Amino acid sequence: MKKIFLAIIGICLGMGTAYAQLPDALEVIKKADQKLRGETSSGTMKMTIVRPSWSREVTMKSWSKGTDYSLILVTGPARDKGTAFLKREKEIWNWQPTIDRTIKLPPSMMMQSWMGSDFTNDDLVRESSIVVDYTHKNLGLETIEGYPCYKIELIPKEDAPVVWGKVLIWIDQKEYMQLKTEFYDEDNYLVNTMLGREIKSLDGRLLPTIMEIIPEEDEGHKTVIEYLSLVFDKPIKETFFSIQNMKRIR
Amino acid sequence: MNGEISSPTMKISHLILALLLPFLAASQADKPKNWSLNGYVKNLQTLLFIEDNYLQDNLIHNRLNFRWFMNEELTFRADLRSRFFWGDLVKVNPLYGSLTDQASNDWLDLSAVLLDENQLVFHSVLDRFYLEYVKNNWEIRLGRQRVNWGISTVWNPNDIFNAFSFTDFDYEERPGSDAVRIKYYTGVASSIEVVAKGADQFEETVIAAKWAFNKWSYDFQFLAGYVMEDFAIGTGWAGNIGAAGFKGEATYFTPIAEGRTESFALSLGVDYAFTNSYYLNLGYLYNNNGSTDAGVGNLFNFQLSARNLYPYRHALFLQQSYPLNPLLSASLAIIYSPVQVNPLFLNPILTFSIKENWDIDAVGQIVFNEDEGYKSPVQAVFLRLKYSF
Repeated sequence: MKKIFLAIIGICLGMGTAYAQLPDALEVIKKADQKLRGETSSGTMKMTIVRPSWSREVTMKSWSKGTDYSLILVTGPARDKGTAFLKREKEIWNWQPTIDRTIKLPPSMMMQSWMGSDFTNDDLVRESSIVVDYTHKNLGLETIEGYPCYKIELIPKEDAPVVWGKVLIWIDQKEYMQLKTEFYDEDNYLVNTMLGREIKSLDGRLLPTIMEIIPEEDEGHKTVIEYLSLVFDKPIKETFFSIQNMKRIR
Repeated sequence: MNGEISSPTMKISHLILALLLPFLAASQADKPKNWSLNGYVKNLQTLLFIEDNYLQDNLIHNRLNFRWFMNEELTFRADLRSRFFWGDLVKVNPLYGSLTDQASNDWLDLSAVLLDENQLVFHSVLDRFYLEYVKNNWEIRLGRQRVNWGISTVWNPNDIFNAFSFTDFDYEERPGSDAVRIKYYTGVASSIEVVAKGADQFEETVIAAKWAFNKWSYDFQFLAGYVMEDFAIGTGWAGNIGAAGFKGEATYFTPIAEGRTESFALSLGVDYAFTNSYYLNLGYLYNNNGSTDAGVGNLFNFQLSARNLYPYRHALFLQQSYPLNPLLSASLAIIYSPVQVNPLFLNPILTFSIKENWDIDAVGQIVFNEDEGYKSPVQAVFLRLKYSF
């Protein structure tokens, strides 16, 4: 009887701890970040800017290695084709093929809209990191589109290159996919919501292949990025991310 | 005139045909293309107001950028710029065709006036025409190319191969130089290069070297060389102060030939992009060759070179731009010179994306000065429609 009683207590305690002991928020964020980033990644994507009365498409190729190096080549529309962006640690260069010139971008450019979309330059070249630039807190469990998710709160560190006051991310428990993200300004107002949709396997990883960013204020506005192909962990040398290569890549 | 131009006409059209034919045939095949062809067609309407009169001018402008990726190392590039002019400026100037032709060549003659009659002028020029060899860290280019050594915003005293006036906004690619250029990348953001420009006489050539490197999150460059009867040394940088960009260039020209003066040009620029996409760019140019007492007419009529980028000794530049929405953006550039006539130059621009690949721009160039009570004696308005492909 005593044993049974202890066992019940044990189970209750166990359940209790299982409920209270959510996994460490930082670990979840690291896994989710690693899932999308890999050691290296390269791919092609299509971005669509949607407004109530029109839409525009931009196609691009991208390469990245960790958080420090990334290269983006615009492949369409015709007007911008060949334009490239290189990021190395904290520095960003832009290649303008029409004028044969490399332009060093001021850091303030990172928070600007990427080619008129609802994404910022930072979202594309991923200068700020959900791992490094924030402190994390696991708020509990919620279900998004049928997937049980951890809801994690991110508060930017003091000197982080981030414009948000707070970010909430929903990460599914099994595959560590980022299914929903809410961006709040410094006054705690919701500014943007990002949704991960169309879950498919890309290069053996289950991922949302469509990322949709929806500004809160503007009815009928959104920007959709669709990954057309993605390859992870193919070795890319750090020297691939050079000014010479930015001009040459096609 | 027709007799004189028939041979370059034939030359150019044969050349283009010879270049394009194998690729048009090859395009049937399924393998990945080893060539590319893109470009645009622009229609530019100009209204030029001078005192109480105005002139109207029209320009249809086509650009074809052709590249042939011959193998891993070799690329051939040829860009053809063709323009069809008609209107009042062509009418009042019987030499319009030949003047246009003279202005568009470097050492080699790669241009032709294909039509010059009934006040219509059609002109074509290959403004890029080069072979590029790239292997490991080497990059070697031979032929007509743009050698762009500018690193700062607005004014580029370091751009010794190909200085350019910002008032000529319709030629963003800018003219090419007939040159050999040998560049070696010493690192991911550093390089050494030597460029020599072809010329019939030594007085017309430019032979210079540039060393570029990256340190403390700044791009730096140093250059030295012979620039058309001067010895030039220069430096430039691009970096940031806080989140704002901080860029600058300076070049000092010492004359080698008799009867020339030394020259010094310095430009500084600070730019900042706000999170709402409002962009602000402030600049200053010091040009010791510039005038302190010249009239305002100088703005549209002065000898442009890296040693003389603006006709006045001092110039302050303020540019701001703001996308009203992703399709429509507005910008305004203001240049003021604190000299005797206090000239003020305004350059408002509206850019609208009509649909994918179709853009329309409205551009104003307005000049004021104190002498005339800040009433503008010269105003230009441009309307440009562009289709990119």
